[in-house]
Amino acid sequence: MPNNPSMAAAIVGAAESNKIGYIEEGTTATRLHLEAINNVCKQTGISPSEIDGVFSVGFSPQIAEHLGIHPRYIDTTGVGGSSFVMHVHHALAAINAGIIDIALVSHGEAGFSARKNKGNGTNRPQGDDKWSVPSQFEVPYGIAGAPSNYAHAMTRHMHQWGSTKEDFAQIAVATREWATLNPRAVMFSKETHPAGGPITVADVLESRLIAWPLNLLDICLVTDHGGAVLIASAEKARSLRTTPVWIAGAGENMSHWSMMEMQDFTATSAAASANSAYKMAGMGPGEMELAMIYDSFTVTAGITAEMLGLTPRGEGPSLWADRKASPGGSGIPVNTNGGGLSFSHSGMYGMMLLVEAYRQLAGIAEDGVNGIAGKQTSAKTAVVNGTGGNLSTTGTLVLVADD
Amino acid sequence: MAYTKPIPDPEQYTFKPYWDGCKAGKLMLPRCLVCGRMHFYPRVLCPHCHSDQLEWVEASGEGRIHTYAVQHRAFGGWAEETPFVTAYIDLIEGTRMLTVLHGVDPLKPEEIKIGAKVKIEFEEASDEVSIAYWRVVE
Repeated sequence: MPNNPSMAAAIVGAAESNKIGYIEEGTTATRLHLEAINNVCKQTGISPSEIDGVFSVGFSPQIAEHLGIHPRYIDTTGVGGSSFVMHVHHALAAINAGIIDIALVSHGEAGFSARKNKGNGTNRPQGDDKWSVPSQFEVPYGIAGAPSNYAHAMTRHMHQWGSTKEDFAQIAVATREWATLNPRAVMFSKETHPAGGPITVADVLESRLIAWPLNLLDICLVTDHGGAVLIASAEKARSLRTTPVWIAGAGENMSHWSMMEMQDFTATSAAASANSAYKMAGMGPGEMELAMIYDSFTVTAGITAEMLGLTPRGEGPSLWADRKASPGGSGIPVNTNGGGLSFSHSGMYGMMLLVEAYRQLAGIAEDGVNGIAGKQTSAKTAVVNGTGGNLSTTGTLVLVADD
Repeated sequence: MAYTKPIPDPEQYTFKPYWDGCKAGKLMLPRCLVCGRMHFYPRVLCPHCHSDQLEWVEASGEGRIHTYAVQHRAFGGWAEETPFVTAYIDLIEGTRMLTVLHGVDPLKPEEIKIGAKVKIEFEEASDEVSIAYWRVVE
């Protein structure tokens, strides 16, 4: 690969907003962005004025103005929850090209408060184009919200590969186990949520049907969440007080935007984006010691496990079977923050993948706030995959701990 | 009975022949004059060969279920219709469309067969707009 950007930059810090989850008093997306940015700058010792590239889903000019900075690189890639993983890819390229030294990737989304505040404060465009493809050909058929569409992929997977609702339910059970080690997870315990604490496969199958075959516990939370990571050139990364986590590989791709154009409902472009990331890193799935896999739904995670080469085709849920991906399990740990299913998911989940992957590989996953004994793994490598839209867009990273 | 579910405002440029067809009880699809393949949703350029030479032809209105789901939660007018079955249909012309399936029992999802034959039918949603639905015929 000519001018391979592998290891040209590192994630040097990762932080959340002051509060995440179900923020009862309400908040706004702007507050969530800025709290997280403030926290990651304090963590790393990087001043906002040193940031020369700003990456976010659609909100970069507002962030830069809020900080009073004049970035040389402005990226607003917004292709769903995978965007944040792509932002890292883009930042790596910009740093490798010598255009910038320090990139901010920021996320703020008031998914929970939007209900309280009637949609205000989310920084999302108001209303949809009445002539858009969804308005013309999808909304007339009652398709609204991700569960209504993603359910079709799970039906097809069960038909094509012989998987069962029980197979996918195991993913929710294992992910909940990790949430019980993360005090900030919405589903940490019965104290944090009436439905919190450990769950069983039967609990998933008996939870309310939302869009058959998806039950409520197959589906992610809708929370308030802010997060930010800083990415720095190799030279800058080595000069900071925080531990760098190196970007060994990065890739992105897409298979469709409207689900009408999804050729194979049991496959995503993660196969292609992961191939790019593995190739850049010179590594393969067998060398991955941790997986952070976008779990908007159990079916999203299950299919992605196959695409990342972590299981054979059709057997994605087996990655979680027999507690293999659970704390202390015999396989690789997966979604050690408790996932979008049980930790936090504001509508777009990509940032949460990045923050947890950083913490795990920097060895700070048990900070007492976001992790208690048993959450820190021994992983030195991680594959991170974000999925956006309707299983449409994917970004994949291969991250490596500092040696 | 008044139609209470979302009625699209037909786009009058790229999609107009489709909506005019629905109104006339016909499924009209774009076909490429260069490569001969059909597509849906309607495009400005053929998604297969990128030609801008497109024509509209009446399709068979026959297809098979590719996959489906049962919606137990919905919004607006659809909220009163839950549960209902949505499906992606493989048309014999090789394209795919989303629909709400007619002629199935949403409370017995395991009995719906992927691959089952379906035929199109049109429902008059307003004086101006008719909407295509697909019915299981086997």
